[in-house]
Amino acid sequence: MKEEIKALLSEALPMVDFDSEFLFSELDSLGVVTIMIILSQKYSIQLTMQDATPKNLISLDALVRLVESKMQ
Amino acid sequence: MTLEDYLREHAQNIPDKCAIVCGPDQVTYGQLWKDIVDCAECLRNSGVESHRPYVFRASQDARFIVTYCAIHLLHAVAVPLEHSVSDEVLNKVKDEVEACQFADDICDTLYTTGSSGQAKGVMLSQTCLAACADNFIKEMNFHPALVFIVSGPLNHIASLFKIHPILTVGGTLCVLDGLRDMNAFFQVFTLPYKHFATFLVPSSIRMLLQFSAEQLHAVAHLIDFIETGAAPISSADMQHLSSVLPDSRLYNTYGGTEIGCACTYQFNDGKYLEACIGRPMLNASVHLDDGKIVVSGKTIMSGYVADPERTASILRDGAIYTSDLGEIDSEGRLHLLGREDDLINVGGFKVSPTEIEEAALSHPDVKDCICIPVPHVITGQALKLLVVLKDNCTLDKRSIALHLKQSLETFKIPALYESVGSIRRTFNGKLDRKSYR
Repeated sequence: MKEEIKALLSEALPMVDFDSEFLFSELDSLGVVTIMIILSQKYSIQLTMQDATPKNLISLDALVRLVESKMQ
Repeated sequence: MTLEDYLREHAQNIPDKCAIVCGPDQVTYGQLWKDIVDCAECLRNSGVESHRPYVFRASQDARFIVTYCAIHLLHAVAVPLEHSVSDEVLNKVKDEVEACQFADDICDTLYTTGSSGQAKGVMLSQTCLAACADNFIKEMNFHPALVFIVSGPLNHIASLFKIHPILTVGGTLCVLDGLRDMNAFFQVFTLPYKHFATFLVPSSIRMLLQFSAEQLHAVAHLIDFIETGAAPISSADMQHLSSVLPDSRLYNTYGGTEIGCACTYQFNDGKYLEACIGRPMLNASVHLDDGKIVVSGKTIMSGYVADPERTASILRDGAIYTSDLGEIDSEGRLHLLGREDDLINVGGFKVSPTEIEEAALSHPDVKDCICIPVPHVITGQALKLLVVLKDNCTLDKRSIALHLKQSLETFKIPALYESVGSIRRTFNGKLDRKSYR
């Protein structure tokens, strides 16, 4: 799942380094929304802006954990 | 009176009142004035002189306001640039403004995107800044109990021009570093105040409505007004926002760095007129010339830095002849019909496609390219770069994006890239932009 998410998000946000351990600092508001939209559509999960916290967006691993928790 | 005159008065009369909130930090009017005076002294000692420019990157915090006001206190000219500009761009601007003689009444020079791809330095006078502040205070009722939330870049007119009215009336300015953390935005409403207002570009409003409508509705009773502008807002979003905030005033404002704040339309009127920008504000007048909008009054710029020809091309007889197409309806409301030039509006930021193309052509793999607008669900429009690659090259979007980042601000980097066989041109060899729209 991690590689799939990375490929999806890299396609939409080519300038962002999804291997960064400081992912949130690389994002602007549009980047955050883009991630929320893509992940909610791809995995049929409901994400709100309350999920878009720095903690959940700090790294690719954190995003994977967010998706997995929403799919349970 | 200048903003700094008002701040000096507030420091005497309401020293303990909160002037600025930025994250966990709060600055009182007493502290703010002390910081401004101290900063002015530092700047003076470092060689900043009256009527000479001071170029600096705009941080998104109280330090920006302290520096900005300190420059004014020395009667110098504030030249705030986007925080992400490269040293190359910063030095180019420095060279340009330092070679320029500024008239005594010029306070600010703001750099904005030009249709040719070259950034333009727009000179603004004290009269202009005061007139714009007066427009907002009187049209939208800025008052001492108001907390105004600014989330856009502080060097951008939409944010910078809110610092003046809210601090002039002795209210509280709340500075957010963008809206990427929407929870931080809603956290502001837990502060012990009862009146809030903000400016949001239409894409931010769409984000709020799409992901946080319930949260927004929960704080509706605290929101005096929301102003939008800088890009078109759809009638559907106007209507949706009005239903979420039924008792708040909602404005769609027409303005720009060259014209200041000119018109506004209070759109929770049951009509939700798309592209309507209302009637002229107190210190501005508007008429049409051959279908294009002309703005006159105290809010307009004084001219472009080091470019009298370009200044004369749009500033004539005390009026700015814009490239915006408009019409005035039977009730005297102005409606925007589009632009005559090639600038692309991405969520409120105007981008010259020429600037992107010139930067992209310096990438070793790019043979030819064109930057075009494509529809985007949040920002209305997004940038797409169509690229003709050199022989044996494959499209590496990240490589091109990072290459562009070296010379362009972040909002100018296209989100989408496509490899194409050729770029369409007109019979005389120019890029055929219209055929891509």
